[in-house]
Amino acid sequence: MITMSHYLVFSALLFCISIAGIFINRKNILLLLMSIELMLLSVNTNFIVFSHFSDDITGQVFVFFILAVAAAESAIGLAIIVSLFRIRNSLEINLINKLKG
Amino acid sequence: MDILTILFYLVTSVVIFSSMSLVIVNNTVHAALLLVLIFFNSAILWLMLNAEFLAIVLVLVYVGAVLVLFLFVIMLLDIPVKKTTDKKLYLLFSVITSLIMFAELYMIIFYHDFSNGTNLNSISEVNNTYEIGLMLFTQHIFSFEVTAFILLVAIIAAIAINLTIRERSLRQDPGKQILETKESRLKIIKGEDL
Repeated sequence: MITMSHYLVFSALLFCISIAGIFINRKNILLLLMSIELMLLSVNTNFIVFSHFSDDITGQVFVFFILAVAAAESAIGLAIIVSLFRIRNSLEINLINKLKG
Repeated sequence: MDILTILFYLVTSVVIFSSMSLVIVNNTVHAALLLVLIFFNSAILWLMLNAEFLAIVLVLVYVGAVLVLFLFVIMLLDIPVKKTTDKKLYLLFSVITSLIMFAELYMIIFYHDFSNGTNLNSISEVNNTYEIGLMLFTQHIFSFEVTAFILLVAIIAAIAINLTIRERSLRQDPGKQILETKESRLKIIKGEDL
């Protein structure tokens, strides 16, 4: 029997793996964006699990909004990456230091 | 063990192992294809949770649009595959950090004891898509409109970031050509002025 905590542990594991991915992939900003997508997926899974087990459809409506906003975010992020690659000819994150912040 | 339990463990192990290989792989094309696998298996998991509409949206919108966009960008940019030198240290620190965080989340989940939270199994008389649509167009209509506006802003921003107008290109501008008059181009001078 699959209970609620099985799903919650799975989604926590996925979130922690994607955090490790953000730590590891410092050389490629595209892989970093993919790790963020993975994080959003685990959060959405959490929303759907709680929506299913507490029998409330609002969680699924929220997941719909998150999906739409994530699609917009990745579109803008990829556009920034393309124009960044055109200027710097590389995707390494530690080379992005023009703003000297 | 019933069939749903076996399916749950199969799907989750595929997602976990392919996400582990996604974060350590060097090739971005392989990473994008692993992400497709992860999204398909998550859609199966969401189907098991009776979220049919969101499962098909995940496959259609995410795999069909966003990941294809990722693959387009990867193929558009000729990214050199570099072997990183300092990966070992980052790997150690990231594994330690994520293990600590996972231990905390695990303790929270079992402290609150969600294990007895079985679903009420109320079979609703309408399907999942109908229910979501009913909520979306009554209670959350303002958020829905704002989402549409966000998508419009994303389109405009993605075009505006990458639109470059070259200053010295030889491209003809029809608007400027129409606005030219005879006086701006032609100048009559007398011969003895030379």
